[in-house]
Amino acid sequence: MKYRPTWRTARKLSQFLFLVLFLVLFRKTDYAGSDTLPYAVNIFFRWDPLVAATVMLSARKFILLLFPSLFIILLTIVFGRVFCGWICPVGTLLDWLDKGIRPKPRPSIRFRKIKYLLLVLLLVSSLFGLQLIGFLDPFSLLVRGGTFAVDPIFNLIASGFFNTVYTHAPALAEHVTEPVYTVLKNGILPFRQSFYFLSGLSLLILAAIGAMEKLGKRFWCRNLCPLGAMLALFSRWSFFRRIPSSSCKNCPQCAPNCRMNAFDPDSGKLHHEECNMCMDCVDDCLNQSPRFTFTRQRGGPETDLSRRAFVASALAGIALPLAVKVNAASRVPRPLLLRPPGVKNETDFLSRCVRCGECMKVCIENALQPCFFESGYEGMFSPRLVPRLGYCEFNCTLCGQVCPTGAIPNLSLPEKQKAVIGIAVFDINRCLPYANGVPCMVCEEHCPTSPKAIRFRNKTVMNREGNQVPVKQPYIKEGLCIGCGICENKCPLPGASAVRVITASGGGDTESGYGGE
Amino acid sequence: MDRRDFLRQVAKWTAGALLAAPVFRITPELLAAEQPVAKVAIGTGTDTAALVKRVLAPFGGMKAFVKPGDRVVVKPNIGWDRRPEQAADTNPDVVKAVVELVLLAGAKEVLVFDNTCNEERRCYHQSGIKPALDGMKKVRCSYIDKRKFVPVDISKGKSIHKWLFYRDALEADCYINVPVAKHHSLAGLTIGLKNIMGVIGGHRGRIHHNIGQNLADLNTVIRPAVTIVDATRILLRNGPQGGRLQDVKVLNTVLASPDIVAADAVATTLFGLKPADIPATRAAAEMGLGEMNLNRIKKIRV
Repeated sequence: MKYRPTWRTARKLSQFLFLVLFLVLFRKTDYAGSDTLPYAVNIFFRWDPLVAATVMLSARKFILLLFPSLFIILLTIVFGRVFCGWICPVGTLLDWLDKGIRPKPRPSIRFRKIKYLLLVLLLVSSLFGLQLIGFLDPFSLLVRGGTFAVDPIFNLIASGFFNTVYTHAPALAEHVTEPVYTVLKNGILPFRQSFYFLSGLSLLILAAIGAMEKLGKRFWCRNLCPLGAMLALFSRWSFFRRIPSSSCKNCPQCAPNCRMNAFDPDSGKLHHEECNMCMDCVDDCLNQSPRFTFTRQRGGPETDLSRRAFVASALAGIALPLAVKVNAASRVPRPLLLRPPGVKNETDFLSRCVRCGECMKVCIENALQPCFFESGYEGMFSPRLVPRLGYCEFNCTLCGQVCPTGAIPNLSLPEKQKAVIGIAVFDINRCLPYANGVPCMVCEEHCPTSPKAIRFRNKTVMNREGNQVPVKQPYIKEGLCIGCGICENKCPLPGASAVRVITASGGGDTESGYGGE
Repeated sequence: MDRRDFLRQVAKWTAGALLAAPVFRITPELLAAEQPVAKVAIGTGTDTAALVKRVLAPFGGMKAFVKPGDRVVVKPNIGWDRRPEQAADTNPDVVKAVVELVLLAGAKEVLVFDNTCNEERRCYHQSGIKPALDGMKKVRCSYIDKRKFVPVDISKGKSIHKWLFYRDALEADCYINVPVAKHHSLAGLTIGLKNIMGVIGGHRGRIHHNIGQNLADLNTVIRPAVTIVDATRILLRNGPQGGRLQDVKVLNTVLASPDIVAADAVATTLFGLKPADIPATRAAAEMGLGEMNLNRIKKIRV
């Protein structure tokens, strides 16, 4: 049979290439020998118009970083939801999943309006200062699931296999597996095994999105994705449309097979804003071919959002920020909630953070971890420093570089080295030179500021044997400590460290009077 | 064989494989094989490569230590994420010069590594050592592979009797110690003896509780063929990682000696200190690892 180029081939190629781009950027979100990352690894977030809209609303600022989103808006206004059909890596993965999962044909269309309700809720609550996009943005969900669960599990399996062979198999096997492992480590596997809180939850969310496919093709995209909803609204103006705009009567081809179920089941009319331009109906038509072309034709069925539903959703968008405001959690000091370097104000930070997980992915010490309820339920998945797991590397500015919204400011190295994350305090009941008269000073050795923020005094104390011994006792020089946490991380005591970093400002809402700046 | 029997067999074999960790012992004879008179060559100059060559000349050059076909470990200090001019890590020019001489002496392979304190990729790059060695044939500047730490009985140890050592360092045909000389608030100074910290694994913080004796004990396991001390820039304060250029003094000096204690002793004088001020030097000399009495060390100016 003669090869005939089809729309489907082109679309699949585009989906594949954008997925590869996504995965390459994911892998490149890491230190590679240079202080600055050479690629815009966060581009998927920066061209996301929903991220741009919610962040600019809640932060009440124009954010230049997010201007690539204009490109996606423009693309949608001209061509409709091609982003959903040809670009979005979540959509691509769901399409691939369909081969194994066998979705229910001709699924119900009554859930379709949920995505609009969610969109309205997100936008209105952003307007009132509550940023919830991280819970629903498809890239946030995907990058977090990848960062917190899929990638570490992938590495665990690989290293588990290769290490077992290395340790237990005869040397002969090692000569085969180790070169393979080296190659994998140099390109495909992450540099080291990382660990994250909420790994299970993040994986569960991805799995749920996948499992929903069983209820119908592109269930997430059709019914829930708020970015899809936003692009659907923009696509109502688009010029590039299908002709004819309805399916043919009694033909079993395009309407039942439409992955977006975009044809009205009764009238056969196409909901243009539901169509993601996959063009399968063009390729598969049995007789006279439908076309996608530039047209001035408008109209089609109404959008699924009723006025009543819009009002209800908007009211919820107002109520949620108010509920957060009166949550007592925001009044309690949070001394252990350490934010990434350069973050000054908790409220500003949460209004900008889209929980994309990029900072936690790039953190070379695996120190940035997702919050669960440490910063209130509205702060779930936002990053915090957990020094006992990893410390903030003094010469590293990567988290600020990858943050797509500037929630973590992109500081120059001298600025970052002065940015106060918190302050270290000693627990002299446990610290060896205080408690046992044993010399130690590991914290002082690692303290990166110059001059050092950890100093020592020469003291004579009684040790465990009851002898008076001279020791050097460490203390913190305030004003020099930036709270990087390397002291807490390297403290040789088992279990809890004898030096801990706490927030310099008290960590509460700064307006609340608790240790504001 | 039923299932129960099979599982029992698997368990036994696994246990056997796990327990049969290799043991490296340094015999007393090897420890006793010391230099009759300690010699330390010391030289100054701005051409680092030529300087390194010059300080090795009194001992017969690098070929006195490296035999053709040897697998050689060159162990610099790459502990910190600092730039060369901050003098917290061994000067990359010194490392490169040593590696080039080792290759010239006919080494089969040169391994350069350190168990770093800061993130390893940052240390290797920022110190300038990995960039300096990249592209050199037969040279591997690779990161520590945690699987390669093996428990070693330290039979001569007074304070520690067992520790994890890096296999590549233990198995090397020739081990060349290339420390940087710098201030350290607990150890006094960190020079050759303390550089051993970079080839051990485990909970390294524990070493600090009796640092002088512990370092001496560790040094009974791996004995460098030669210690080449980088004193091109020395860190006077705020060590071991420094950061400020005002704490750095440029000396353009390199020392070399097959006797690690003598090398440390002479390097200590560059800081205006006496060898006995450094606990590790004292403990190592007491254990017979080398000479620290400056009167009995022949200083060769080159």
